[in-house]
Amino acid sequence: MHNVWLIAKREYIERIRARSFMVMTVLIPTLMGGLLWGVGMTTGKSRTNVNIAIVTQDSQFGLDLQEELATHKHPQIGAKVISPPEAVTRAELEAEMNHKGLDGYLWVTPPAPGHASPTFEWKPKSKNYLNTQNELGESIRTVLTKEGLAKSGLGSADVNLLMQPIDLDATDASKKDAASAAQASAFGLFFIMYFVIVFYGMNVARSIIEEKTSRIFEVLLATIKPEEMMAGKVLGVGAVGLTQVAIWLVAAAALSVPGLISLGSDISFNLPASLMIYFVVFFLLGYILYSGLAAALGAMTSSEQELQQMNIFLMLPLIACSGVVYNVISDPDGMIAKVFSFIPFCAPLIMYVRIAMHRPPWWEIALSLTGLVVTVLAILWIAARIYRVGVLMYGKKPNLPELIRWLRYS
Amino acid sequence: MPIVELHQVRKAYDTKIAVHGLSLKIEPGTMFGLLGPNGSGKTSSIRMMIGITVPDSGSVTLFGQPFERKNLTRVGYLPEERGLYKKMNVLDQLVFLGQLHGLDAETAKKRSLIWCERMDISEAIPKKTEELSKGMQQKIQFIASLLHEPELIIMDEPFSGLDPVNATLLQDTLVDLRREGKAVLFSTHRMDQVEKLCDEIALIANGQLLLSGSMREVKSTYPRNRIQIVFEGSDGFLKHPAIAEAKNYSGQAEIKLAAAADLAGAANAVLAEALTMARISRFEVVEPTLEEIFIERVTAQSPAPVNGVLTHA
Repeated sequence: MHNVWLIAKREYIERIRARSFMVMTVLIPTLMGGLLWGVGMTTGKSRTNVNIAIVTQDSQFGLDLQEELATHKHPQIGAKVISPPEAVTRAELEAEMNHKGLDGYLWVTPPAPGHASPTFEWKPKSKNYLNTQNELGESIRTVLTKEGLAKSGLGSADVNLLMQPIDLDATDASKKDAASAAQASAFGLFFIMYFVIVFYGMNVARSIIEEKTSRIFEVLLATIKPEEMMAGKVLGVGAVGLTQVAIWLVAAAALSVPGLISLGSDISFNLPASLMIYFVVFFLLGYILYSGLAAALGAMTSSEQELQQMNIFLMLPLIACSGVVYNVISDPDGMIAKVFSFIPFCAPLIMYVRIAMHRPPWWEIALSLTGLVVTVLAILWIAARIYRVGVLMYGKKPNLPELIRWLRYS
Repeated sequence: MPIVELHQVRKAYDTKIAVHGLSLKIEPGTMFGLLGPNGSGKTSSIRMMIGITVPDSGSVTLFGQPFERKNLTRVGYLPEERGLYKKMNVLDQLVFLGQLHGLDAETAKKRSLIWCERMDISEAIPKKTEELSKGMQQKIQFIASLLHEPELIIMDEPFSGLDPVNATLLQDTLVDLRREGKAVLFSTHRMDQVEKLCDEIALIANGQLLLSGSMREVKSTYPRNRIQIVFEGSDGFLKHPAIAEAKNYSGQAEIKLAAAADLAGAANAVLAEALTMARISRFEVVEPTLEEIFIERVTAQSPAPVNGVLTHA
């Protein structure tokens, strides 16, 4: 056990220290975060307080619009009314926009003779005020409607009554929201699991090949058993994967705390504890299954190129999983979902998604887990044997009868 | 009590028999040379001694007990195929390998530093292994196999690829270790080193033991039928009937006398003939060198083609 620990520790420390780990850990969330932030910037979602000026001849219209804008929250628009404008007003506003906190101004030109409504000119500081522009347009329409209604003889109380927002029964809609959030988080975790299993499973194979080509195996095998080596390697590399996922999840949680960093206000990250436990269990089993396979592949081949050719065996079930995952999410109790969640090579991903979407009966979970555990044990047994013979074998790739003979070597 | 004893050990890989009923014994405080042509089963035999592979039949005894993995911490092994973690820093690497051999980190570190100094590579300590020259890496690995102060030191081709200065440094270190009572086994096909260093030898070819025993025993079984002569003048005397075979390297000849009851007389006759036609500056009657014995024994055995699948030596 001590040797397994030593191997795992070395593997872990060397990998964590490697520059590529840092790059991966930082780069991937940065890219994703950057993407979200970029989207937020262009849609103007991130702005919460906007200051504008309303320039109009009609001071009553200005005040009405100001009042209307004040009722809006996304973004909160504070407006000052300049009425009537003077010759220098436009220049002053431009200067204010450049140097002070003014985000834009609305210039209302009275209707030309023969036209019913005035023209509105909206000049924002930059292009990133799409939301403000939408709110502004809506508010202007509301104010104009109210004015029109008042002109046609309705009392202001009646007008306000007419313009009252309608109460929609929104419970169904919010249920749908919750469902799509569950979908999103099931998706997100599916891909994290998928990515880590593929990436770190491949890492196990690659590191075995590296040790094979650098011939360090013989030194190690002179003191420790091949089984210990394989176990140490799988555990060490797996721990690196877990560390990375943990860093990401903690970062995601931190980002979604409102107010800490404003960009994440729409991305909520909440995962029930039971789902978290299922995630960890399926993740670990899936990882061990695939890294055991990868270890056997690594031991059988002796160069990276050969490994690439064998990769397909590793990737095939995973690709199948990502092919059906949409189907499983939309119909978690359908035939496809059921079949795939009982295939041990797909169970870690598909069963987890089913549990996340809509908890299946306990016996289905138990059956899937049992099949998975049995398969993991079988794979580890086979992999250890292939490993034991394969790591000292250089050159020619073994064929199937040879592999079977390897399994019989003690 | 012998440190290692192989008894009728046999190992076959798929179609090829790598080792054929090999028996040998290594006592403490001896320098043991395991000789053999490429693909003769040297590495396979060594691997079975330290449990990397298990013999199909026969027994391996380490330190007087049947093979047990826990005894492996008393063995230091330098494989023929050198290997270190390329990206790892030298000291970390040595400490890691020391720990695998049962040392604690502290001791492993202390001994690594002492050994690096002794091997004259202290400047390599902070570097990554891949930055070092091949010879330096070899020295690092040499150190790694000795950190845990093993009682049995097994080195597969320890001097290959080293320059004379470093080869001598390693040789001297091995001699020191032998003097401390350790058993040292090394395989090689450099006969001059074996002749200089080894107390005992075993010669194997095609997985079979051809010859074994102490250096003196082995040599004394061969008659003193070689003459080395340095001369100026005609080389006509090389055609003397007592000579079975002669090689003339421009003024330096190596002569093998034909089998005869009186070899000394035959040598004298050759010398007398040589003196009539050349000036002799050196004339020496010697026993065959180990190299000659090696070549003679190996070629005498059926020169079956050797195709190594798993066996590198």
